Amino acid sequence: MIGATFVQKDTPIHSLDGRTKLLALMVIFTLVLVFTDPIYVLGLLALVMLAWGAAKIPLSSIKGILQFFGWIALIILLLNLFFYPGETNLFRISGPVAVIGFSGYITLEGILFGVAMVLRLLVIMIVAPLLVMTTPLPDLMLALVKIKVPYRFAFIMTTALSLLPAIQNRASIISQAQLCRGVSDFEGGKIWDKLRVMANMMIPLILGTFRDSQTLDVAMSSRAFGAPIKRTFFMESHFHSFDYVVIAFSCLLMVTGIVLRVLHLGVI
Amino acid sequence: MNTPETPITNTGDKRPNAPRTWKNRSRIWGIPVATLAIWAALFLVACALPALPVPGMSGMITIGAIMSAISGMVLGPAAAIGNAAGGLISILLFPYGFNVAGVFSFIPAMIGGLVGGLLFTNKWAWAGIIELLVIGSWFVNPKAWQPMMWIVPLPFSVVALLVIFVGPLRNWVRRKILELDKVWMWPAVALMVIVTHSAEFLTTNSMTNWIMNLSWQYWVPTWLYWVGVDAVIIVIGTFIGVGIMTGLRKARLTHIVDVMEK
Repeated sequence: MIGATFVQKDTPIHSLDGRTKLLALMVIFTLVLVFTDPIYVLGLLALVMLAWGAAKIPLSSIKGILQFFGWIALIILLLNLFFYPGETNLFRISGPVAVIGFSGYITLEGILFGVAMVLRLLVIMIVAPLLVMTTPLPDLMLALVKIKVPYRFAFIMTTALSLLPAIQNRASIISQAQLCRGVSDFEGGKIWDKLRVMANMMIPLILGTFRDSQTLDVAMSSRAFGAPIKRTFFMESHFHSFDYVVIAFSCLLMVTGIVLRVLHLGVI
Repeated sequence: MNTPETPITNTGDKRPNAPRTWKNRSRIWGIPVATLAIWAALFLVACALPALPVPGMSGMITIGAIMSAISGMVLGPAAAIGNAAGGLISILLFPYGFNVAGVFSFIPAMIGGLVGGLLFTNKWAWAGIIELLVIGSWFVNPKAWQPMMWIVPLPFSVVALLVIFVGPLRNWVRRKILELDKVWMWPAVALMVIVTHSAEFLTTNSMTNWIMNLSWQYWVPTWLYWVGVDAVIIVIGTFIGVGIMTGLRKARLTHIVDVMEK
């Protein structure tokens, strides 16, 4: 199983307020979906890499996520090479296949669009874990509540995040137990076999964790969850000067991105 | 033993004689917040497992699609909250999923859970309105009127509309699942999974069409692939759904049927 967890470091990125990080993430997510020109997406990638460098977290810490990237990137690239409706024909590889929308030519636009889609996925894949890896769970919850996300929803989100390792561990135990009982290997086989094995694993996993939810419910009730009082937090968050700098930069980036898009720049 | 009651408005339970305690505030549409948190975590784990590629775009369809397909039967309308929470975090943790709308990519799973949950709790009119809005959002796009584009929402949405609006069929589906009928529960769960999944995938299709401005050149050639993908999700969802509904009832674990029975 894979995923990102908080890494304790003393860096400017770690000390940023959770709200600032959420805003910056939102801006990057939006802009990376707005642009389809690989140069612009590459610029966003450089920005994200800069943030990773500032956070002093090695990219190897998300190697579990990145190991999927190689073959997903290949699929995306190939599909766009063949099916993107470009105009600048580079070379012909077959006759037109109308039923699948393939012109028979590899086009320049297809290559550029394929590269942009791969870069887009790369940006999304490395920017999102950065938030989780530089923000402790209580800070993230506080940030969510402060941006007016309802407390119960913020609680569900952060509890899910904190329960993730336990559930991943349980899933691993179930898969090991099923392997001991002769269920075919989870790693091998065809897609259909994998999905069938997955179904065999998910039923005990869901039922087992639902049993745990009753314990959690009792624990929450005993701590007066939902009591009609004004909720306060042990830790308070405040904006610092660097937060204002990042917020201003994010807003500027967003406005620039929208203006460029309106002017039809950054798209193929 | 008497417990002190607080003078607040009960928001969780609408029965005339419902106890006016703050315990109801730890529930959403009758489902404990703890259960929703667990569901969100399960959804998150499922979103970590990529299953099938999305032709011509970045991202993968994950096992999370199966979880959201069965969520309505397990959690009722509250499934929307669990799916939304899990979906939001999955964008941060497992971003190789098909996140066409960035941080708003949790919306399809939320809509799917909501439609399935509303139908299962017999709020079929609301489920129908949302399903029609989702279908409408596809046809409002001018690209949806290109040649053959009408086939994209066709296969499962028609079944979903039939289940929602044909009273005897709807009641039969709900009854067979609630009775845990050994034979007829399977097709009933399959139909419920179709309703939930059709709302989810059509929301995704609509959002993708609006954001990516896709034309028939994308949708029509890939249509068969998508029907296959949806069929696989529905079949696996049915297997898991039957197992989960039977297991939850037999183990007497809290889920929407308990809330409905109360």
